[in-house]
Amino acid sequence: MALSLRDSVHLVSDPRNLDASVDEVFHLMLGVRCMRDSFPLAQEPESVTAVVGFGGLLSGACVFSTGGLAAMKIAARMTGMEFDQIDDTVKDAIGEICNMLAGSWKGKLPDLAAHCGLSVPAVITGRDYHLHVQAPEFQLHHIYRFEDAGFVVTIVCDGLQ
Amino acid sequence: MREIRTLIVDDSSVMRKIVERSLRQAGLDPLVVHEACSGTEGLEVLRARQVDLILSDINMPLMDGLEFLRQLRAQDLAPGVPVVMITTESSEEHVKQAILAGAQGYIRKPFTAEQVKERVLPLLRAA
Repeated sequence: MALSLRDSVHLVSDPRNLDASVDEVFHLMLGVRCMRDSFPLAQEPESVTAVVGFGGLLSGACVFSTGGLAAMKIAARMTGMEFDQIDDTVKDAIGEICNMLAGSWKGKLPDLAAHCGLSVPAVITGRDYHLHVQAPEFQLHHIYRFEDAGFVVTIVCDGLQ
Repeated sequence: MREIRTLIVDDSSVMRKIVERSLRQAGLDPLVVHEACSGTEGLEVLRARQVDLILSDINMPLMDGLEFLRQLRAQDLAPGVPVVMITTESSEEHVKQAILAGAQGYIRKPFTAEQVKERVLPLLRAA
């Protein structure tokens, strides 16, 4: 019988897996603990969004989005450097954070870890865009904060075999 | 003490910095680091330079880490040099593929400097 995740959609979409992945990535790579929050992030003139696609048993994307100041803070924590603008290193850092979050999230379920591939990260700067998926199987959209920085992680699944 | 010549292959410059920092924190000193941002570039570095250790990402554009590993074994570049894969892919299947392609170690991102030390130092001692 072909492997399917259809019967385990409740496990795949368990929001605690995303919380655990965020905690793992930020604790190990930045040395900070993140708190889940329900208040939307304040609008900033600049924002940085990274997208890593999923393919295989699950198709969709992991989207990491944050304001420019938080992006520079995250990059500074990761590299030990200081930033006063969103340069290629900051974009690279945000792409890697998204990549690790996507990998950690899919790694929570062995079947997903083994049969779902990741794309290389794409990074978008700018504010006026919308993420639109026609008919998602499920979507997780969580806001987190550490110190005075906030970010949003979205897992969107548009196909589950 | 003899310097440890290391090749770090990752398409992310930030991850290359973090891996280098982790190696230094693991006590690898003096450390000489060569960098490559794809498997193709990694092979070019190995044609020009000798190294004692290779750390490579898997998921990269142009040539991924597994193909890089197969090519370097097939072309007999860096014979006997330990290769450690550092990647977000963590399933047993991915580990098996890496071992079959010739990797001696596997580190999952995100990682700590301590994990890098635990995986790398025994390989360097044995090499």
